[in-house]
Amino acid sequence: MASQNFQTAILLSRPYLTREQIKRAQQNTIADRRIYNQKRISVFKFLCDICVQFKFPRKTLETAMYFYQRYYVFNKFETEMCYDVATSCLFIACKQVETIKKVADLCAVSLRLRSIVKVSPEMLDNCKKRIFQLELHILETCCFDYRVNNTVHIDEFIVKIGKELSLNYKACHLAWLIAFDALKLEILLMVPQHTIAIAALKIACELSDDTEWPNVRYTLFESDEPSVNEAYFDIVNFFINVFDLSDLKDNLPQGFRKLSIETFMDLKRKAGEEKGLKEPENVATDAYLTKERDYTVRERRYVLSRKRINDENRPTVRPAKKDRIE
Amino acid sequence: MMQTEYSKEKKVGEGTYAVVYVGTKYSTNRKVAIKEIKTSGFKDGLDMSAIREVKYLQEMNHVNVIELIDVFMAQNNLNLVLEFLPADLEMIIKDSSILFTNADIKSWLLMTLRGVHHCHRNFILHRDLKPNNLLLAPDGQLKLADFGLARNMGSPQEILTSNVVTRWYRAPELLFGAKHYTGAIDMWSVGVIFAELMLRIPYLPGKDDIDQIDVTFRALGTPTDRDWPEISTFSTYNKIQFYPPPSRDELRRRFAAATENALDLMCGMLTMNPHKRWDPTKCLTSEFFVELPEPTVPEELPKLNNK
Repeated sequence: MASQNFQTAILLSRPYLTREQIKRAQQNTIADRRIYNQKRISVFKFLCDICVQFKFPRKTLETAMYFYQRYYVFNKFETEMCYDVATSCLFIACKQVETIKKVADLCAVSLRLRSIVKVSPEMLDNCKKRIFQLELHILETCCFDYRVNNTVHIDEFIVKIGKELSLNYKACHLAWLIAFDALKLEILLMVPQHTIAIAALKIACELSDDTEWPNVRYTLFESDEPSVNEAYFDIVNFFINVFDLSDLKDNLPQGFRKLSIETFMDLKRKAGEEKGLKEPENVATDAYLTKERDYTVRERRYVLSRKRINDENRPTVRPAKKDRIE
Repeated sequence: MMQTEYSKEKKVGEGTYAVVYVGTKYSTNRKVAIKEIKTSGFKDGLDMSAIREVKYLQEMNHVNVIELIDVFMAQNNLNLVLEFLPADLEMIIKDSSILFTNADIKSWLLMTLRGVHHCHRNFILHRDLKPNNLLLAPDGQLKLADFGLARNMGSPQEILTSNVVTRWYRAPELLFGAKHYTGAIDMWSVGVIFAELMLRIPYLPGKDDIDQIDVTFRALGTPTDRDWPEISTFSTYNKIQFYPPPSRDELRRRFAAATENALDLMCGMLTMNPHKRWDPTKCLTSEFFVELPEPTVPEELPKLNNK
């Protein structure tokens, strides 16, 4: 595609994608899925450690994980760069959720945690430079869409929705622990955080002997059945696949019944057929996913509503040809 | 070569984190302001002000809040395309060749309150309201601008910085260093702006942060724990000078042209206790906006003479 000829491009932000859409886009960016997944887990651990050092709330970590995963949906994954990308994601997340830290402090801890024994001023400087370069690039990948990760965070909504549904403390605490493991999953890129909160609460209730998951309409919480199911099965499948590596396993609240892979298999069996978001039919041909982003276009515009693009498609005073990727 | 959508025609300003240009959006021939965010040479990457501006303006669409038309990258620079608004309320207040009436003041105040009401119902605090940030469109509409200090109303336990709002417009709880505050801080600013519109000079011009405390309480009286019980929890409270509040007659003297309803509204917004201070809804439904004169229609408001 000779898009170099175009001086302007307009791109619609689509902050959430379906599983198949993500997979399709990752065909361009991730060569070896296994390595990517391994690295994702160690990056998560790495980000956790930084967050603990700075006493960041969970929402900072959550936002960083969204940015990190979203970045590799649209940019080539290279193992050498992933810790810098992760540090940069955390840097942006700090600004996004107002837990601001100086870049020098973040870099120092980031380098130290990567077992670099002696951090020279030069190394620190280079690290800072890379973080700044990546910062705009990550935000551009996310189309500067500040609607996500802004006010809705999983842990806060577990508390809010749990209270609204009069669930007991124990069930909410369990949901809160389950949700921590959910931060490692691609579900962050598929459904908004309050939906993940509902799914975590539902799982927690089903695992509790004394709490029943109330039969609520998800529209009450601005969500829907397919989205909650997507999150529900993603989380349950995670525990079935790697329960031994989960953080839940080692952090079960006292006096709680023992959990194991079997518990989650049982849950899945009872839940019936695995359902989730409807996959669109055009995944294979959707240029948003199949075409690599072109950062050579001189003016790259990012909009949040489809209406804006449609409005500009109408004949106007001075029609300008544009390269539109929707 | 294909055309770009935006042109930058003239540099009109430069701030710490951005260069502002007047430009054109070609497809509609609309005049726009383009803020090019400086990214190189910055200590901490993309400036928080730019981030906040995008973050909060993306959320809002209201006639009394500046419109963020577009966000684009050009080479490696972030650009924000905003409505082009050539004047601000400070220019009007300072221009002694412009005469304005009570109806004009009512109109500007009404538009300001509508904008603030919209922010607050979206749980957004502006945190820097002052005449200089109230911009005026060619059709007379007033628009809240500069969301570089804005933020979400925090969760109850979240700590906010009290180092916000330009000094003269800073609410008493901020002067005392409150770490938790609400939309009431914006309402205080609007109250001070209202007074400034009537006086045509700044109402509480403190020389520095310490002086601001003195100026504020000398003009409006030092709050006591009778009308603001939490006041004694601020550590600086015991160190400040005590002044009695002004009598109604004194206020009438200060604001000779103000009606009783105007004074009520101003006092409502300048209530010391943030819990008792009037919120946008209470202000918008106050008697002041019901009594005559009616607010001037925006198109007929005074404009800068040289434009």
